[in-house]
Amino acid sequence: MNEKIVTCKEVMNYICESLGEDLNSEKCIAIKDHLDECSDCKSYYKTVEITIDCYRKYNVKMSKDAHERLMKFLDLNDCD
Amino acid sequence: MEEKEIIKRAQSGDRKALANLVKIHEQTIYNFAFKICRDKDKAENIMQETFYSMVKSLHQFDGKSKLSTWLFRIVSNHCLMLARKMKNRLFVSFEDDENVFEEKYAADWSALPNKITENEELKVILDNAIKKLSPDYRMIFLLRDVEGFSTEKTAEIANLSVPAVKSRLHRARAFLRNELSKSLQK
Repeated sequence: MNEKIVTCKEVMNYICESLGEDLNSEKCIAIKDHLDECSDCKSYYKTVEITIDCYRKYNVKMSKDAHERLMKFLDLNDCD
Repeated sequence: MEEKEIIKRAQSGDRKALANLVKIHEQTIYNFAFKICRDKDKAENIMQETFYSMVKSLHQFDGKSKLSTWLFRIVSNHCLMLARKMKNRLFVSFEDDENVFEEKYAADWSALPNKITENEELKVILDNAIKKLSPDYRMIFLLRDVEGFSTEKTAEIANLSVPAVKSRLHRARAFLRNELSKSLQK
């Protein structure tokens, strides 16, 4: 692993802390430079993104019965 | 009709408008409740309680935020209340951050997100991983990363400071990523 300016552990910590934020700080530039040169940290970054993507795509559809029970529970079934 | 108009009508006693609001948001709220508790019956129960709270308190909704944001605050509270009732569950502790960041990598993750819709085994892995996180951490991860709220909005919904959200978020991300990595290597 490339550990010239910041360590891989710092990079991993920073990735998890700052993914999705607006990043222009000096530290962030150092992290980006590290990512450009370190394939392990680049893989780590990618796998954190994929983890999030998996949870985003894992959805459950509500059944028609559950909808009907909800309207009845709220006493709104006559408005359905 | 715009949602603001539907809300106004519902607030003035129009029951059809109220039913319309429920129908607009029920799927999102059910899905979120499921993602927190990973149980369909509990998710349905939480959804019912959330909309019951909405119906009872809609007259207090001032329209300064979106109705969906308001509903996320209600559903999050109901999820946490349910979790507190289940005190006997053990969740991962983050007292030692050293274990959160591991430096081993699974060979190929790239196809994973596309497999999620049909792969039951992967769903079990995702369920098992997130169930180890305490509901407080789950909620932050889901609001920020899955629902896409900003860090500031997540803090507002969860009634936490921005640094507290960031701290929970980065631990949750690292933990879930590592759990997924371990399961994929088996």
